Amino acid sequence: MRRWWYLAWFFFVAPPMPLLMIGAFAVATVVAIVSVIIDPARASSALTPVLLLQLFACASGFDVPARRGHYDLLLTHGEPRRRVIVAHWGASAAPGLLCWLLIAAVRYAISNGSERTLLLNVGTVTAMILVSTIPWAITVRLPRFSGAIGWLLTAVTLSLARPDMVAVQAGAPIHSATEWLVTACAVLVYPLLLVGRDLHGRDLLVVVPGVMFAIAAVSIASWSIDRRDIPLEAAQ
Amino acid sequence: MAPSSVFVSVRNVTARYRRREVFRDLTFDLRTGQSLGVIGANGAGKTTLLRMLVGCLSPAVGDVRIGGFRPRDATLRTSVAYFAGAATLPPNVRATAWGTLGSGEATLADRRRIRALSQGMKQLLGLRTVLSRHPLQLIVLDEPWEGLDTESSRWLNATLESKRDRGAAVVVSSHRLHDLAGFCDEYLFLMPHEARLMKAHEIARVGPVTAALLTDTFDKLRERPKAPLEQPGQEYRAHS
Repeated sequence: MRRWWYLAWFFFVAPPMPLLMIGAFAVATVVAIVSVIIDPARASSALTPVLLLQLFACASGFDVPARRGHYDLLLTHGEPRRRVIVAHWGASAAPGLLCWLLIAAVRYAISNGSERTLLLNVGTVTAMILVSTIPWAITVRLPRFSGAIGWLLTAVTLSLARPDMVAVQAGAPIHSATEWLVTACAVLVYPLLLVGRDLHGRDLLVVVPGVMFAIAAVSIASWSIDRRDIPLEAAQ
Repeated sequence: MAPSSVFVSVRNVTARYRRREVFRDLTFDLRTGQSLGVIGANGAGKTTLLRMLVGCLSPAVGDVRIGGFRPRDATLRTSVAYFAGAATLPPNVRATAWGTLGSGEATLADRRRIRALSQGMKQLLGLRTVLSRHPLQLIVLDEPWEGLDTESSRWLNATLESKRDRGAAVVVSSHRLHDLAGFCDEYLFLMPHEARLMKAHEIARVGPVTAALLTDTFDKLRERPKAPLEQPGQEYRAHS
């Protein structure tokens, strides 16, 4: 536990994201809370800026700062590399997750606990998992924000090439394997489609490929960093 | 661990960055309570060797052991201090906060961000942070005297001597030979064509090792004809 505490303290002192991003999260959270208080029905759309910020916050990149020597202290402090990687992901995702929970708590409070909040249902949780993991995994060996920029480019390009994908409604009845595949791809590329949607039974199958992809991406990225040498940029 | 047992063991190590060979067939031992100075021209592989000792790099060929373990495992079992220079500190972090990452106590009472500090202050912050842990079994410092003023250099020398006397194995690299002179028990000269390990008494038969003697030895080694050592199959391991 003490070692985890040290890792948390390290990434609190030297966060993997720019300080400006923390400020942006604070602003987005305040705006979302005000928006939820004014119109509780718009809770789902209030979460969208936080999810977009989370996309960039999690695309923090591990390899580049490590090759600059920023993590030397951590890597030689007696922490297993895998634990460092997990802590790095946690530190990248924590601000966005905290903002989301805060907005959900406010939404729950203003409904006097009488209704289940739209911000903690399966669709929103899945969207948060996707934007918190895939950009981190893609960017782990690339410069900061690469994964988020790549994801947004893919989303924009696909929306121009296949407008029908954006129009797909997660949770709508699915009649064939092709429909399932298109919906699953749409959910993976546009996780915002899932926000506020409560999925049950067979509908849950559309998020399975996305979640599996996220788990695989994080596992491969972690394995790659765990095995990788970390030379100093200046010494090569 | 028995006193003065071999703590760092480097056997037939070759380092490469892709196809470029940095050094080849390097072999040496370092005992607990001993200090090794690594001297070499730019690009000779000083930083590469030091990063291998702390497990950030793996040798292309050969074996490195720290206390009998591979370096990455050794960092989990032994207490290691490693600092590769002021440029490796994250610029946006506050100096006071960074200082707490060593032993938990602030090592520098300066609330400015690291990027706002002078080169010497950054160097001192990094060194104080890594050296604040107790006890240390292996200290690996890359150009530690760079940018330090006289008082800070004196503090560093005293700290390293104190840690070494308590049993830490110390490996330091420096271009500033007058800082290394007299401090180390052994000197490893890394050159493009040869790596050579020399004990202090081999450099100075009488009296302490001086900067002039180190410079003289380094120049002689550099000026040695390269042809016989570059023949295929010829080993150029560091001799002790």
